[in-house]
Amino acid sequence: MNLEKVIFGFFVILACTLNFGFFLGEIDNHVLHHPGHLFAAVVINLVALVMKFGDRTHIGATHLATSLVAMLQLLAASFAWMWQVNINQAVMNAETMATIVSLSGGALIANLISVILLVSETLRQTR
Amino acid sequence: MNEVLFVILRRLRRPLIILIIAYAISVWGLVLIPGLDREGNVVHLGFFHALYIISYTATTIGFGEIPYEFTDAQRAWTIVCIYSCVVSWAYALGSIFHLSQDQTFRNVAARKRFAKRVAAMQEPFVLIVGYGQSGIMLARMLDRIGLRMVIVELRQERAAIIEIGEFEHTPLFLSADGRLPDVLVDAGVTHRKCVAMIALAGDDDTNQSVAIGGTVLNPSVRIIARVHTQIAQANLDSFKSISLINPFVAFANNIALDLGSPEKLRIIEWLSGLPGGIRPDSLNLPKGHWVICGTGDFAHYVSQALEKAGVTWSIVENYNGQINRGSLDMHQCNAIDDLLEAGIERAVGLIACTDSDSVNLATVTRARSVNASLYVVFRQANVANASLIDASMAPLRFLKSEVVSHRIRQLLTSPLLIRFLRHVDEDAEDLAQRTGKLLEAQVGEKVPFMWVFDCYTAYAGLREALAADVDPPLSIGDLLINPENPPERLNAVPLLLLRKMKETPLPAQSTQLLPGDQILFAGQLEAEELQKRFFLEPSPLEYIRTGIEPPRSWLFRNLFKKSLNSKDTTI
Repeated sequence: MNLEKVIFGFFVILACTLNFGFFLGEIDNHVLHHPGHLFAAVVINLVALVMKFGDRTHIGATHLATSLVAMLQLLAASFAWMWQVNINQAVMNAETMATIVSLSGGALIANLISVILLVSETLRQTR
Repeated sequence: MNEVLFVILRRLRRPLIILIIAYAISVWGLVLIPGLDREGNVVHLGFFHALYIISYTATTIGFGEIPYEFTDAQRAWTIVCIYSCVVSWAYALGSIFHLSQDQTFRNVAARKRFAKRVAAMQEPFVLIVGYGQSGIMLARMLDRIGLRMVIVELRQERAAIIEIGEFEHTPLFLSADGRLPDVLVDAGVTHRKCVAMIALAGDDDTNQSVAIGGTVLNPSVRIIARVHTQIAQANLDSFKSISLINPFVAFANNIALDLGSPEKLRIIEWLSGLPGGIRPDSLNLPKGHWVICGTGDFAHYVSQALEKAGVTWSIVENYNGQINRGSLDMHQCNAIDDLLEAGIERAVGLIACTDSDSVNLATVTRARSVNASLYVVFRQANVANASLIDASMAPLRFLKSEVVSHRIRQLLTSPLLIRFLRHVDEDAEDLAQRTGKLLEAQVGEKVPFMWVFDCYTAYAGLREALAADVDPPLSIGDLLINPENPPERLNAVPLLLLRKMKETPLPAQSTQLLPGDQILFAGQLEAEELQKRFFLEPSPLEYIRTGIEPPRSWLFRNLFKKSLNSKDTTI
């Protein structure tokens, strides 16, 4: 067993599951989407992104690309949240919540691709 | 992706992850721990505020407690945050600084920067592999004529000299092994502005692999390699684009020429000197018995040259264990007895050619104590010892780097001259004598300037003159008329006519010119300036040939044509 693979797989899958947890629920109902979940998803995605740095293989480059996409979407979602609550000083409304959740949904797809890559890479391993 | 970026990313993976985790835990903690507002209600910090607080706390900026004063529980957690985040930052910054000092990283970065700057070269440049004595001398010479250079040298401290050297344009340099093809590519051997690659490394093996590597990577680039041994010469001879320079052979050839046909050598030396300088005198090597002190390739080539010239010679080796080979009369030690045995008393000349300047000096002194009238040929091993060698008062001195750099300069700047000199060397003595007479009449005692006149129809001045139906056809003699004052002639000698790979040394003035011809001229600098006018516009050539200054503008050309036509009709 390779500890590096365990940690790598852990973060990639955790990034996906956390994101899924945030995404789940009615799209415009802010009671069902907790900001803590979004924060956790952002942090774990960031860690996963850094772990993918420096791998020069083709599959490594694709991994990095999926992480970059997920990061971009999640940061956009966080920014939308911050804009509504802290800068507009308004309460969370249905439109903004829908925007945030759909952005995180996009990130979820990127995370899923990352997991698929991870799984397919593992299955290719014949050793 | 960029290599440097890769190295940075890989090295910074751990510090970045630690930093992210420290921030995440700190922010999370601040969000979870309840705070109190001014009225004493329980409020929680949002992620936005928490991140803001941690950002200024972790970087030790410290703006204070917002939006309300912290509770003690929050302060306790902030202590944890401060220590964990500041330590993580210190670790991350330390890793970055460590990386910037790291030799591997610096080499990768330097290599990348070098490759980028070479790729951005806009001017023609020469790639020099090997920066030893010859390399230094050549670089200085090429810098003076304004050629840009890229230098690759294996030894780090040698490469560092380039940075402090006095150059008009500091050459780009890299300390790397030129035998590796990727180094050659980075150094620009495949660059479209690369004029030539010159292999000047210390040993023949390296030069061989550099030259072959270069020609394989870019078959169209000109390659000049210095070799010393016959085996390397034979190996490289089969490549078309590689020109070889064997300084030992060149020098030995000169000795043979001086003893055999001094007029040829006089012309060769005259034409290959620095333009504008004084004409070098002939060597006037005495004929008779010669003693060679030294071993190795140089002694071998020199002895062959003496053999060819038909003079007697003997070799004194200065180490033990050599066996007598055929006519080679070898001796074991460099003591005075051996010199006597080699016939130093009856000898007319001495060639001191060991690899050490001090041994050579000792030999010369010892030999002179026996026979003071010796003609001494000195092989100088190190450029820095020039003053020592001056003290030996040797009339002829061989300095490898000098021979090499002069020859390379000729190959780069006037390849046609090399062809002409080959004719002088190989053809009958008559050619050298005729050249000598012409040069004496036209340029006198000075070393002439050399230039090539290209008969390209693309030149505005030549388009009409080179057309097929022009009468009289343009001849070489026309190019020697002074465009400012037609009765006068330019002080220049046409040395060589190159027409479709066919070389004609000393072409006659009546030779008709065809498009594509190249003519090598030797003469005074003013003559070159005047002759250049023939390229630019048709009127000088027209004027000297017909005596009529042709009209230049469209209006006057048409008027001129009309007046010609009307003249024809009246006649």
